[in-house]
Amino acid sequence: MRSREQEYREIFMAEALEYYDAMSRHISELEKNPQSEQPLNELFRLMHNLKANARAMGYMDLGEVAHRMETIFGLIRSKEKAFSGSITGVLFGGIDTIGAMIRAIGENQELPNAESLLENLERLVRGEEPILTDEEVAVDDSRKLELSDLVYIQIKKLDHLLNLVGELIIDRDRIFTLGQEIGNPALQSAAAHLFRIADELQYSVMDARLVNVGSLFNKFPRVVRDVATTEHKEVNLSISGQDIQIDRNILQIITDSLLHLVRNAIGHGIETPEERIKAGKPPVGEVALEAAIERDDVLIQVRDDGRGIDVEKVRSKAVSRGLVNAQTAASLSAPAVRALLFEPGFSMAEEVTEISGRGVGLDVVKLAIDSMGGQLRVDSELGKGTTFTLVLPTSIAVKGALLFELEERSYALLLMHIDSVVSLWPEELHVVGGMLLAEVQGENVPVVGLRQLLHSGDEPLASADTEELIGRQDIIIVNYNNRRLGLIVDRFLRQQNIVIKPMTQPLDKIDLFGGVTLLGNGQVCLVLDVPALTRVFLAKRP
Amino acid sequence: MVQTESGGERKPIVQEALVQLIVFRLGTEEYGVRIEQVKEVTITPDIARMPKTPAFVKGIANLRGDIIAIIDLEERFSLRRGKADVSTSLTYTLAIEAHDYTIGIVVREVPQPLSLPVSAIERAPEFLQDSNIQEKYIEGIARFDSRIIIVLDMMKLLTPSEIMQLNPRAESSTARSRT
Repeated sequence: MRSREQEYREIFMAEALEYYDAMSRHISELEKNPQSEQPLNELFRLMHNLKANARAMGYMDLGEVAHRMETIFGLIRSKEKAFSGSITGVLFGGIDTIGAMIRAIGENQELPNAESLLENLERLVRGEEPILTDEEVAVDDSRKLELSDLVYIQIKKLDHLLNLVGELIIDRDRIFTLGQEIGNPALQSAAAHLFRIADELQYSVMDARLVNVGSLFNKFPRVVRDVATTEHKEVNLSISGQDIQIDRNILQIITDSLLHLVRNAIGHGIETPEERIKAGKPPVGEVALEAAIERDDVLIQVRDDGRGIDVEKVRSKAVSRGLVNAQTAASLSAPAVRALLFEPGFSMAEEVTEISGRGVGLDVVKLAIDSMGGQLRVDSELGKGTTFTLVLPTSIAVKGALLFELEERSYALLLMHIDSVVSLWPEELHVVGGMLLAEVQGENVPVVGLRQLLHSGDEPLASADTEELIGRQDIIIVNYNNRRLGLIVDRFLRQQNIVIKPMTQPLDKIDLFGGVTLLGNGQVCLVLDVPALTRVFLAKRP
Repeated sequence: MVQTESGGERKPIVQEALVQLIVFRLGTEEYGVRIEQVKEVTITPDIARMPKTPAFVKGIANLRGDIIAIIDLEERFSLRRGKADVSTSLTYTLAIEAHDYTIGIVVREVPQPLSLPVSAIERAPEFLQDSNIQEKYIEGIARFDSRIIIVLDMMKLLTPSEIMQLNPRAESSTARSRT
């Protein structure tokens, strides 16, 4: 993988060359039509941007030239100077020098000397005549034309490419399976080759869509400053893991969520400086944005060292909002109570503030993360702070899934939502309050037959009976929002990477399915949506 | 359409415009769909049943990479008289372009194309209002060589709400707010 430095440099080069091209174009236009304002404004803007970029990258000489050029263009714009006579020559020469400097940066060579140019620019500012050497007066006819090494591409085009690759992968799997069924060695070897090529193509397209998390994180210092000012709080933001890469569309989807979480952290998490001093904390609150890689997933954390989440307050609020009854609420563990924060209609803010109370709650964040098969977790210690963790797939295209069989058809569940799989004898399951319970890793987990869950009407599920279960039961333990649920299926099949196609209209109204995938044998396989299954179970449990 | 209505009265000498239908059998009667609404006719592909859908939605199938819903109109209009379920025998599927999606209609016999003059299609008589196939889905009745073909208006028949017979349910309300 390329280093961040190198990537930034390539982006700088691409932009700088583009600026240089635009400058050459605009100054020629200005020469033909000295009264025209538009090219002048453009030149001013381009010089300004180039100055900022060059200084940020540490190319101070280039920054200085751009700065002085900007000054002159500013003077011409404010009509203090006219674009005529000797100024023209100096400015044309200046843009050539800028071009030469950019080229030198690109080739890792020493930057050309710009002393005489800088002096001339200085003289112009003072209203003196520039001293042009013969060399500077001579038109440089040895100039080279060059094209940038980077291309800008619309994300739409990459989306299309990714969709096509998805289709290709499905067909590839089909051909591969056919090859094995037919047993023709030539076909098999061609299929194996196709398999590898398609794989590589898929990863290349996925790679082309990756962007640094930093491209989003770097927008936050400003956000934090503004929110902190409005809330009268002092906040220090630390950012890490900017060079972790993630699919651009995933970053797009989480943008609002991250903004919401950061605003929350400052609005609800961090206390005022006075409160912090009283609590024995430094007056400046800490908010951290961190990205890290965990297995195939990208973790993004928003952490604050503020007041933390008061579990008891959440518990009573959930009861008063009618989300749970008082009895159930009392028996919930702290993590389960915190998970209630993600329920629709739950908002902890006592009063609606400009920053945090926009009528969208954490449930919206949760839905956004769910929509791409990610997870949202919250950890908190009262008085110490809160951490929200977003577990995101690196790419939207391919997802790990567990395939299983139910009523002779294949279904898939995303691995992201699966805790574990177990096979239990009926004796190992107990009926409590009409519900099956299994002990999994020391915790009682409700278990339900997926068949009953899918085929139930609007009425509650029938009371469970272990007598109806025959033989070992294959159970998939899914986890959503801290709730574990066991689903009895007919048979586990295998683990596989799948390409999910969204459900087409009008069937997309059924939210139980996150989409469909096509298996190697051409069969259509429904991908079950764990959040929706959990909701159905909660609504219908006996 | 306008042309032919006035044309019918004047008994035109010029050859009358033809309408092409794809004709198929549902129950005991023949039905037709305008050919421009039919994307293709194919042997019914493997159908994956889909829980939580009305019984006449047979499921979804892969049609050249498109995932489409397959519906059974015999079941939709209660036209089946003790015959076996369509899923047990070889059947054909008409892929129909409806609104912004494609939908498959499963039929037992090979659908046939048929050209007939536009004037052969008459408006549906009133009595059909009481039948199972509500009048609003019927564009007209075609009489041709002593055959009677019921011409369906697929655009009305295949709206998302018609297909899903959607009743908002509590459990899905949160999910719907996502879009």
